[in-house]
Formats: sequence, structure tokens, C-alpha cells
Amino acid sequence: MMELREFNNQVHPTPDYPSPYGSQHSLRLRTVPPQETSAVQFDWASPPEDAEDSNEPPNLRELPLHMGLKRAVWQVQQMKIPVVSSSWNIKQSQTFRRFCEVAKHVLSYFVLWKRGIQKIGGHFGGGVQSYFLFLRFLVILNFLSSLLIAGFVLIPSIVFRSMNFNSTIPTTVNLTGVEICLQYDPKPDTLMVFITYFLDLISGTGFMEYSYLFYGYYTNFNSMVESNGFSYNIPLAYLLTAAFYFLFCFICMIIRMGGTARVAVVTGGGATGGYSALVFTGWDHGLQEDRTTKLKQSNFRYRLQVDLEEERLKKKSASLTLSQTVSLYALRVFLNMVVLILIGATFYGIAKATQFSQLMKTTGFKGLVLQYLPSMVITASNFVVPLLCDKIALLEKYSASTTVILALLRAVFLRLVSLGVLLYTLWEQITCEGDISKQNCIPCNYYYDEYKCWETRVGQEMYKLTLFDFLITIATLILVEFPRRIVVDHCSCKLTQWVGRQEFLVAPNVLALVYSQTVVWTGALFCPLLPFINTIKFILFYFCKKITLFQNCQPATRNFRSTTSNFFFLLVLLFGWMLATMVLLYSVTKIHPSYGCGPFRFSPTMWEVVPQAAEMLNSTSAEFLFYMGSQKFSIPLFIFSCVLLCYVSALTSVHGKSVALLKSQCKLEQRDKQFLVRQIEELNATVQKEQREPQQPQRETDTATRWNQHDNYAFDRDEDPRPY
Amino acid sequence: MGNKQTIFTSQQLDAYQDCTYFTRKEILRLFHRYRDLAPQLVPLDYTAGPDVRLPYELIGSMPELKDNPFRQRIAEVFSEDGEGNMTLDDFLDMFSVLSEMAPRDLKAYYAFKIYDFNNDDFICRSDLEKTLNRLTRNELTEDEVRMVCEKVIDEADLDNDGRLSLEDFQHMIVRAPDFLSTFHIRI
Repeated sequence: MMELREFNNQVHPTPDYPSPYGSQHSLRLRTVPPQETSAVQFDWASPPEDAEDSNEPPNLRELPLHMGLKRAVWQVQQMKIPVVSSSWNIKQSQTFRRFCEVAKHVLSYFVLWKRGIQKIGGHFGGGVQSYFLFLRFLVILNFLSSLLIAGFVLIPSIVFRSMNFNSTIPTTVNLTGVEICLQYDPKPDTLMVFITYFLDLISGTGFMEYSYLFYGYYTNFNSMVESNGFSYNIPLAYLLTAAFYFLFCFICMIIRMGGTARVAVVTGGGATGGYSALVFTGWDHGLQEDRTTKLKQSNFRYRLQVDLEEERLKKKSASLTLSQTVSLYALRVFLNMVVLILIGATFYGIAKATQFSQLMKTTGFKGLVLQYLPSMVITASNFVVPLLCDKIALLEKYSASTTVILALLRAVFLRLVSLGVLLYTLWEQITCEGDISKQNCIPCNYYYDEYKCWETRVGQEMYKLTLFDFLITIATLILVEFPRRIVVDHCSCKLTQWVGRQEFLVAPNVLALVYSQTVVWTGALFCPLLPFINTIKFILFYFCKKITLFQNCQPATRNFRSTTSNFFFLLVLLFGWMLATMVLLYSVTKIHPSYGCGPFRFSPTMWEVVPQAAEMLNSTSAEFLFYMGSQKFSIPLFIFSCVLLCYVSALTSVHGKSVALLKSQCKLEQRDKQFLVRQIEELNATVQKEQREPQQPQRETDTATRWNQHDNYAFDRDEDPRPY
Repeated sequence: MGNKQTIFTSQQLDAYQDCTYFTRKEILRLFHRYRDLAPQLVPLDYTAGPDVRLPYELIGSMPELKDNPFRQRIAEVFSEDGEGNMTLDDFLDMFSVLSEMAPRDLKAYYAFKIYDFNNDDFICRSDLEKTLNRLTRNELTEDEVRMVCEKVIDEADLDNDGRLSLEDFQHMIVRAPDFLSTFHIRI
């Protein structure tokens, strides 16, 4: 900014006449150079000459000069350098800068899919590009999580199992009365028909059930080769890896949200200055291709017309009569009830489907359909209900932007809560509605007859949801999008032209990603390989979506505000994470693990392994850890978090106030400048008028001289104040 | 970095590196893009600093620019003669400012010059009307154009002189979060 002001100085030099403030002449008699016009250009913004170290070379790239001038300045700099004493510093900083650039250039090769996403942005704009950036973020997150899980849980299990260690029953556990719970034999028949093999693959049963994919295969290898003094506590590793995985995802999301939130806060949410921002920053100069730019221009026209229309509607609605307002609100309340009833019916359908599929026990193809019933109901509702909500929203007569936000919120609510309903139904059945004194739950604290290994069952449900989501996406691609394009391109009847080519809608696609990721988080504890499966699924999504984008889709006709929406999508992802965390915390601390399978089979809850392991440390660490976990510690922790919260919120409010103050100062400065310029113009006018009437000022000069002589002793009578 | 290229002297490459946001490789790549527009006019040896100027028609036919409604203004602003005929220096300058590494203030300065059609250092109503027509391919009605121009000047003009100065423009850009990503041409 400094450089720009200096440049301003060069272009508009300060006028060369005595300044009004420092001289002894009165303002009225100030001389004006004859060539000065009324277009006076002051540079009030020029900074005072502070003692800047001239050793710091100005950053040439930031100067808004032509390249020829910049190179001339560069050459002058190069010649100056040997003379200045700290030239070694400058050379060092230069080489460091070059090194940073080269490093950045090399690192950019490691960015996944950089060219592909750039090409998408060039052809379809920032909104669609933000979907692919979000997808890339999730792919990297899942990949790193699967590495984490593989390193700490999977590989040690494989190693120990291959070394043929037997799982030991700790002597502290009392197993009388629960022998029936220990029976669990999922080993499949060795002779299998191919169709059974395929059915097992996609439903996670049979040979898939007793494998590393699910919780049930991991055992509680606890004490290792004593001679090496090496011991690896698998149950503890399993639990802590799951906890750390959640924490890692949380931190990644917060960091990414911080970046987008910072932009939103600085620009004040972007709500004000809509038209000017749209006109000057709305055009994406990176767009190429004639078709895209024509569409973008129509999009612009549409957007401006919609905004003007909204203004008109607002004016109109502000002038509605009382009866009209009341009827409008009554209509809105009624339609909201309709939407709630619709969503409620969906939840009921999901609950019933889940109960039905859990209790039926047929095999073969019919059994497969029954197993996938909850997934099918959820997917169908996620497709149908938002469509209906969109149609209902049209009747509600909100402004265009409110309609979009409302539709998104409803879709998010539907998706996440339907998953919650599925989980709730499962919980109901597994824990006999939380009441362990019920008939079915008596010996084992969970519904033993149906769920010999309930964690694996939950894992299987999540696995099926993930797989079904993937299959449906691919099926939609092949069976809906490609045929639609073929029909639209080759058949020129009016109906097909009205339907038109597929549009890549960003919001529903991003919500689908959020839903898949929530399913993976929920299932990660029970199906440790699920993040890895999800990584592969998302990578395939990238390629499939890219192909369908370029082959079948047209650019969106409605604009998409990518910056605020990025923050919104990360927020929704955070909600999904919270849902998964609640499930994790509940199942770790409240439900009794299965006796027949898994690494926690001999603890009353999964959490118990942690205090048991802490006891084995030396006494000071054990005491410290127990103190941290006790209730006594919660009070200082609470007080500390309150203090931190107060500090951060005070900081936020101070920053906000200073931003507002600086903005008003800016405005004030502009007005002051304008006022002073007007004053000077008036003075110019009066002085020029005096120039044309030489007689009158003579008397005035004498009186003025006497007046001034009275005040200013240093005034020289010989100096003629009249212009030359 | 081996000095195997003979197009520029190493001093010239250093100067370009310090004056633009490009690395050596990118500068050479851009030189070849420039040359590809007119191989018979642009020599392969720039060590003597030849004065080669490509006419605007060639610049405006580049795939990155040919569909941009503001391509003529962009070429005029960055060319030394103000007519859109660009030397290699102008070419590098243009893509450096339009690259993703240029800071917001620099981009805002040039964006202001691009939208200032009559080059009077102010964006007045006629400049705004021309901008709007380019943005919407002349498909807005007179009334709508007038209303939008009024709204824009209302929102952005801080010193109330009926036109936007550079300071008004920069102040408005600060509040627009998408500016850095939209005022960006990938090459």
C-alpha cells in the first residue's frame, strides 16, 4: 500500500505553492500560480517521511508500473547493492526467497488432482470447483485416518495373529452365569456357491464377517513376548486410536473452517455492498470457452434481475395490508407443518424398515433385499422429500436467497436425523430399549439371541449404508444422466428441450458427501477398515463425477456464493461429526461389549481398559491420570475454560470495534478531504474573480495590510500580495 | 537450475523473476506461449532486447482471453502504447498481475484501470453502463441498467461526487471476498 501511495505522489504531485497553514499571509490573499486549474489533486494519503531504513528494497512485483520501468528500477537497485553495507543481508534474503519459490513449486507437484480441479474451475466456475475441493479434503482426511488405524490396530493384530498367540482370559473376570453369552461361531462353510460368495461380499456376512473388516475378529492380545520386554495392549490401542481418529478429524475441520471464517469476518459477511461487489468482482476472468461465458452472462443478467425483483417484492411486502400479512404467515405455518409431517413419516418408515429387516431371517436374494431395506428407504426418502420440499418452498413466497437456505437446512436435517433414527432403532433392539432387566437381556446385558456379536452387526449396517450409497450414485450416473444427455442431444422435441441437460447442483452433492462421511465416522469403531473403503469410494467418486460433469452437465444457471457456503458445508460436516461422537461415547461407556467376540469381551464396558492400563503405570503417573479423570479436576477445568472463553470473546469484540472505528474514520477522512477541496475551489474562484477586478482589491489590500500588520509583526509591506 | 537456455541472459531472467510472480520455468513457458502466437515475428534470441510488439488481434485470440468480454480493456491497460499491442514485457506483466500470487491491492489497482473505459481515473456512470453491458451481453433493459448503476454508485461512492475514485474502489474490494479468486487467469 505504501508503494501505491508513493506512486500516487508521482502521478499527482503536490502543487507547488505556499501551504495555507504555515504561511503568514491570510487565506484570502494567498497567491495562486496562474496555470493551476480547479481540479486540485492533493495526496492527503501520503505518509510522513519516517525514518525507514533505505536498505530494504521495495518489493518490485507489487509496484503498479509498466515492466520497462520496473526493470529500470531493478537495474538501479542492482547497481546500488555493492555500495550499501548490508548487501550480504539483501543477497541472503534474495536467495532465501528464491529457495522458497522453488520449494513451493516442487511441493505443488504433490497436490492431488491440481490440474484437474483447475480445469473444472475454468469451465464451470467457483461453485462446482468448491465441491471438488471439499471432496479432495475428505479423500486426504480418510486416507490419513486409514493409515493411522492400519498402523496402530490392523498391523499389530495381523502380526500377533500370525505369531499364533492365544487370547487369554484375565483371572479377574467372573464368568459364572454368562457362559451362554460366550458362544459365537461365525466361521463360514468352506464349500460355498458363488452367489453366496457375492451376497456375503456385499452384505458383510459369512466369510466377510469373521475378518479384519469387523470388530469381531480382533482379540485382546495383551501380554506379549516377555523376553523382549515388549508388550502391546491391543484393546487399549483400539480404543485410543478411535479416540485419536475423531480428534484428528475435528482438528482438520476446525483449521479449514478457520480459514473460511476469517474471510467471512473481515468482509462483514458480505451482506452489504451486494450490487457493487457483484458488478466488479462477479465476473470470473478465468472462464474459458464461448459456451461457458455466454452462460455466465445469462447468469449475470438473471442474477441482477432477480435482485431487482427481490427489492421490488420487499417494497411490496412492506406495504401489505394486515389481512394479507396474516394470511401469508398462516400459509407459511401450515406449509411448515406439512414439511414436518412429511419428515416425520419418513422417520417412521425408516424405523419400521430397520426393525423388520433386523428380525427377518431369510437367505438368498430375498434376504439380501431385506438386509438392504433400511438403506433403500433412507436413500429413497433423501431423494423424494427434498424435491417435495422444494415445491412447497415455492408456495411459501420467501425471497430467493431465503428459499435456498431453507431448502438446504431441511435437506441437512432430513439426512442426519434419518441416520440418527436408524441408529436409535438399532440401539432399541440391542439393549432392549435401555432396560437390561428385560427378559431378552437378562444374562448378557444385551439381546443375546439376536445379536451374538452386536458390534459387528452395527458395523455391518454402516458398511451396507456406505456400499449402497456408492452403488446408487454409480447407477444414477449410468441409468439417468447419460441417457438424459443422449435424449436431449438427439431428440429435438419441445419436452426434452424444456427439461434440458443435467445441471450440476452443488448443494445436494455436498450434502451427500457429508452424509457418507458421517456414516463412516459412526461405523469406524465397529468396522476399522471403513475409512479405507471410504477413501477408495471417494476417489472413484472424483473420477465418476468429473466424467459426468464434462459429458453430461451444463454450467449452473443460478449463481453460487462459494465463500459463505464453504463455511456452511464445513459446519454441517461438524454436526455430522458430533452425531458420530455421541454414538461413540455412548457405546464406549454405556453398553456392555459382546462376550463372544472383540477385544473388549471381558470388560464391563469398553472404557474399562483405560483405567486398567493406567493402574499399571508407576504410581505418580497413575495418580496424576486418575486425578485428571476424577470429578475434583472438573471444577478447575471448567473455571479455566470459562476464563479462556471470556478472553477470546473480549478480543473478538475489541477487534470488531476497532474495525468499525477504522471504517468510520475512513469515511470521515473522505468527507474532510472533500470539504477542504471545496474550500480551496471557492478560494480559487474568489481569487480569480479578484484578478479580473484590479480596482476593488486595492482598497481591500490596504485595509487587509493594516489588519495583518496589526496581527503579524513579521509582515513585509513591500511584498505585493497580488498575483504576478 | 542449469543455464541451458539461450533465449535470455541470466541477468534478464533474474530481472523478470524479481519483477513478476513467476519462476524461471514459468517465464520460459510464457515466452514460448508468446512466441507461438506469431513465430515469424518473435525471435528466439531475446538477449539483445529486441523491440517486438504483437498486435492486439493476436493477443485477443489466445484461448485464455478470446471469450473474455473485457479482453480489449485488459490488453489496453497492460500495453505500453495503450492500444493493446503487447511486447513480451507487457505480456509477462499482464499474466503476473492476473496470477494467483498477486496481492489484492495490486489487482484492485489494475481492475480499476480496466473498468475505467475513458481513462479519466474515475469510474463514472458511462463506464459503469459499459461494464454492465459487457457483463450481460446488452440484454438488460435501459431501466434496469440505470437502476443498477444508481445502486452501485450509492453503495460504493464514499465521497459523494457521483463517481468512483480509486480509494472508493479499493474500499469496496476489501469487502468482497471473491475478488482474488475471480480476478485470476490461469495460464
